[in-house]
Amino acid sequence: MSDRIIKNYFLWLLLGLSIAIIFLPFILSNDYQLRVWMLLLIYAVVALGLNLVVGLAGLVSLGQAGLLAIGAYTASILATKFGFEFIPAALAAMCLTGFFGVILAYPTLRVRGVYLAVITIAFGIVVENIAIEWSSVTGGTTGISNIPKIAFFGHALNDVRFYYLISFIFLISFIIHYNIRKSRFGRSMRAATQSEIAVRSVGINPISARTLAFTLAAVLTGIAGALYAYLNSYVNPDTFRFLDSLRYLLMVILGGSGTVLGPLLGAAILTYIPEFFQKFGVWQHFAYGALLVIVIFIMPLGIVGTIIFWYGKFQPKRLYKSNQWPALEPLVDTLIKQPIEKSQTCLCVNNLTVRFGGLVANNNISENIQTGSIHAIIGPNGAGKSTFLNCISGLYKATDGTIIFGNKNISGLPMHTLAKMGIARTFQNTELFGQMTVLENVLVGFHTKYKSGLLATIARWPTFTKEENHFHVLANSLLRYVGLDDYAHEEARNLPFGHQRRLEIARALAISPKVLLLDEPAAGLTHTEIEDLKRLINSLSEKNITIVLVEHHVEMIMALSNTVTVLDYGIVIASGAPDEVQENPMVIEAYFGSKGVTNA
Amino acid sequence: MSKHDQLFLYSTKSILVKALVVASGVITSASAYAQQAVPCIGASIPLTGAASFGGEAIKMGAEIAIDEINAKGGVLGKKLSLMSYDDSGQPPKGVDNVRRIALSDKCIAMLGGYHSGVQLAMRDTVSQVGIPYVGTTAGATAIIEQEGGQNKWMFRVSAKDKWVAQFLVEQAVTRSKNKKVALLYENTGWGNGGKPDVEAAMKAKGLSLVSLETFNWNDVDMTPQLLRVKDAGADTVIVWALDREGNQILRGMDKIGYRPANIVGAWGLAGNLGEIAGKLANGVLVFQTYIWTGKLDPKGEAVWKTIQSKYNLKTPQDIKMGSGIANSYDAVYIIAQAITKAGSFDRTKVRDALFQVNYDGLVAKYEPAFEKTQERQDAILPKYYKLSAWHDGKLLPLSETPYK
Amino acid sequence: MSAIVQYLLSGISIGAIYSLIGLGFSIMWSASRAANFAHGDVVMLGAVLAVVFVGQGIPLILSIPIVVLICIIYGVLIERFAVTPFLKEVTGIGWMLSTIGIGIMLESFVTITFGSFAKPLVTPLIEKPIIILGAGIYPQELLIPVFAITFLLCLEIFYRRTLIGRAIRAVAFNQMAAGLMGINVKLMTAISFGIAAALGGGAGILIAPIVQASATMGLLLGLKGFAIAIIAGITNARGVVIMGLLYGIMEKFIEGFISSAAREAIGFTVIIFLLFIFPQGIFGKKEMLKV
Repeated sequence: MSDRIIKNYFLWLLLGLSIAIIFLPFILSNDYQLRVWMLLLIYAVVALGLNLVVGLAGLVSLGQAGLLAIGAYTASILATKFGFEFIPAALAAMCLTGFFGVILAYPTLRVRGVYLAVITIAFGIVVENIAIEWSSVTGGTTGISNIPKIAFFGHALNDVRFYYLISFIFLISFIIHYNIRKSRFGRSMRAATQSEIAVRSVGINPISARTLAFTLAAVLTGIAGALYAYLNSYVNPDTFRFLDSLRYLLMVILGGSGTVLGPLLGAAILTYIPEFFQKFGVWQHFAYGALLVIVIFIMPLGIVGTIIFWYGKFQPKRLYKSNQWPALEPLVDTLIKQPIEKSQTCLCVNNLTVRFGGLVANNNISENIQTGSIHAIIGPNGAGKSTFLNCISGLYKATDGTIIFGNKNISGLPMHTLAKMGIARTFQNTELFGQMTVLENVLVGFHTKYKSGLLATIARWPTFTKEENHFHVLANSLLRYVGLDDYAHEEARNLPFGHQRRLEIARALAISPKVLLLDEPAAGLTHTEIEDLKRLINSLSEKNITIVLVEHHVEMIMALSNTVTVLDYGIVIASGAPDEVQENPMVIEAYFGSKGVTNA
Repeated sequence: MSKHDQLFLYSTKSILVKALVVASGVITSASAYAQQAVPCIGASIPLTGAASFGGEAIKMGAEIAIDEINAKGGVLGKKLSLMSYDDSGQPPKGVDNVRRIALSDKCIAMLGGYHSGVQLAMRDTVSQVGIPYVGTTAGATAIIEQEGGQNKWMFRVSAKDKWVAQFLVEQAVTRSKNKKVALLYENTGWGNGGKPDVEAAMKAKGLSLVSLETFNWNDVDMTPQLLRVKDAGADTVIVWALDREGNQILRGMDKIGYRPANIVGAWGLAGNLGEIAGKLANGVLVFQTYIWTGKLDPKGEAVWKTIQSKYNLKTPQDIKMGSGIANSYDAVYIIAQAITKAGSFDRTKVRDALFQVNYDGLVAKYEPAFEKTQERQDAILPKYYKLSAWHDGKLLPLSETPYK
Repeated sequence: MSAIVQYLLSGISIGAIYSLIGLGFSIMWSASRAANFAHGDVVMLGAVLAVVFVGQGIPLILSIPIVVLICIIYGVLIERFAVTPFLKEVTGIGWMLSTIGIGIMLESFVTITFGSFAKPLVTPLIEKPIIILGAGIYPQELLIPVFAITFLLCLEIFYRRTLIGRAIRAVAFNQMAAGLMGINVKLMTAISFGIAAALGGGAGILIAPIVQASATMGLLLGLKGFAIAIIAGITNARGVVIMGLLYGIMEKFIEGFISSAAREAIGFTVIIFLLFIFPQGIFGKKEMLKV
């Protein structure tokens, strides 16, 4: 139901914009002003694309001018040298820029932040210089002129019709931007920037999310570039410099990074500002720099972002209540119930060794973890417990040894692949997507289960809407299961610590895991919460989920586990039923020292 | 904040956006209506950026001319004004400025600016909107001599690179003993535009350049290029660069121990080459359309006095891009005369009247300023081109220096 | 043969300029994982101020310490107001944009007051070139790599042997722990930025006789310096200096054997490829994550 409301609000917004756009030419008094608006809308398309990269994926790109250049030159060359019509020229421009978008995303594999910024800057400079040097193709510094007007069926578009074409493309871009943002793709982009590790743990490869962001941004910039070339009927390298890339970034930031209307507002202001700044004569550039500084200092969230922020502040504070957990939820049962496996061994670890430089964290560990059991890993601090979990879940690559899951060798496979195979986990330091809502955190967990692809999402086919609703229902169900349904729309970072842990578990369950690795889930929980946690773990075990539990709370271990493995200095010193292990003298020594006394 | 509230906000914002749109439309249309005043001359020039000295020069010349004209009662009883806009060397800005000047400010005519790249981009728009354009500095040949011979609106009171190239080649070849001439040109619209003109001019003399080398702005060391020029054995070098790079060229030559007997430069070297290169600049010949140092004729003296008082410049050495001031001064006077001859502020009539202007200006005696061929929509003929030379930090007319 | 020597000498000279600028970035980054993105403009400031003071009649010897002091103040102010306040953010581009904005303001201001023309700074070291194996180079140009290496050595001694230096390294390693040990983190960061700015201003004065002081001289130099620092592995000062020299030499050889026009395109493409292959920089350290 709430989703239909979403649709309606956005539709009203769209309608409002469309009306404004349609009537604009009748309000303006001359062609010059119309052209300013055309330019504004073209920049808005660039800003919408960049917003996906900066606002959603949290990356910096200072190379959009390079992509714009590629789009503009491609269209110009095809139009002037090969007589292409507008649509094929524009499509070619979009394909080529899209290709470079994929390439630009590649470095995000390993670098982010400033490093990525430098790569994008270098990219922009390379494109600019190629445009200057490759004069046989690009016309060099003289550029390409006499780009013909856009024509459909032999009739050239006059300024007003051209304006409507640009507006139409802008509106399409606006819709695409919104549809991506309010979908699993938008969610995965935002999640990937807030916790790359957590996003992997639910089966999402952050690189795919970022590549998507960059590619979409590039494609939008490509069509903007083509329109830009036709608008000016002339291109040359002077227009596509670092300062221009900076301006597009400023549009996104000024408007409000990550917001829906921000890019349009930012583009509008920064297209009109130079008109306004002309008054300052020689001081215009100084004023521009001052504007940049003021925006960053006073309104880092941008105009729209600041409005939303203050609006949120003035909302009355709600008191949320936590509900009984684990709760009875038939939908959750169906979601997470695992079939009874024929084979007894779920995970088989052989001779696992992990070395960090000179330190051996795991030394030749061999263990079998039985299907459907609750298997605890305990040991003093620094024993290598987390390292062990990290190996099984794919965060670390073992220096030696193998891990067999089912009958597959999973050693060295990355975390997101293992998540898709059914290994879920929680983390010692909770890795939530702090700035997303509780509900969204769980929804991210469902990302890999969606069948509707990019096209269906952008076009909002019925298949997409049905799936989205289905997973919303399921997500709410999971939240009820862990008693957090009242918190659904609260930002995850505002949750009390114990609740955060519950949320992590809910998210982990979203991928319907065969194995759930819990890394010190009881740490920081109150006594009642620990009791609830024990019930939850038992309930999960009843559904045939294999649980591997790293913990310090001794009675919790004793009460829950089928098997206990004790690690010390990276080696297994005991493994077996809880009572046996408790009596084991080596275990006692490890925990209490050689003069220790057990409490039977 | 709940989704509910977020979405409510979006619809409120959509109303705000609509209001903004309507409001801005009304405001801009209202302000446009207020500007019915037509006796303005627009200009798209670099007021900011690395070439701001060029924009300033154009502005100076235009302002002085307009002041003088207004002091004598203006044109057709109306006072002229100057609407100058910054293009900071960017073609799209220049293109927008044309529309702004023509459609929004509704000026009767406009002056061209400094960067050839910008003027080239403006061609289509100027002819679309139909406004008389008179260039004041940018020299690319193709600005005025357009493909298809369709230039109906663009004129120029400045150097034409084709003729500058011929002039420089003439100066170079006459002085060269072994007839081996090299060209060093900057990798910009200006430099790349001048290169084919120089090549053509050499060809017309039955010669060809023995070496062509290019460099970028802010380059610090030209020794790789200069080594190649030296190896080619050129005793004369034509330099198409600005002072800063010109200095690096001279120093590079010093480093590799190569000093051609003759160095002839385009007006990029007319700024402060002598100041930054010191003795190395001595003997470098520089083309200009007008030289403010040395002995001035009475007209020049009068304008120089105005420059001194109005802009606080102390000596003629302080003038950067002096040719630009003179060109722009003459251009404004020519436009004013055309308006008077046309008898009204009608753009087509003024454009037609431009062909009837005869004017004794700073740079040249324009008799007439323009003729009805594309080639002659350039007002300053080669016979008015001047040669200056650097000597001990001063750029003087060649005759006032010890060089030949 | 002399052509190759010429490329090498010119390359070392221009490369040393990159090294100095990259070193400035390295010092700032090591202290706070951020920097004055417009550090190139600090170099410009040093050059322009030196020209202004000398033009007013103050001898160069006196001008140098005054200019360096002004640059230090500028650098520290930037750190206090435009960099550190933004370090708590998630996306981490706040300091980038704020310093770029201030850089734009400085550049425009200098263009308006100083003029857009390049002005010379005359020293006796650019009067006559020295000839080495048939290639010529001004003593001032040779001074730059000498200065760079000397400064590097002094920096290393400072970091290893002095109390403040060690404190700065502690802050670079782990701010919170250093603070808990009683180190005044704010002061150490400010000192680092001050040193970087002093280096930048000094570099500006050093290169002004060769490149001439102009308002726009800083932008491309700054970008290249930053990129070079990053591909070297920005926290490794030695690596940065070496990388700068190598990059300068590479540029000259490209100009010598291919064309001067191709220099930037090829140079920046090389930077991109190096970053693809060595995301932490060639001499940088890989960071392990603890979860």
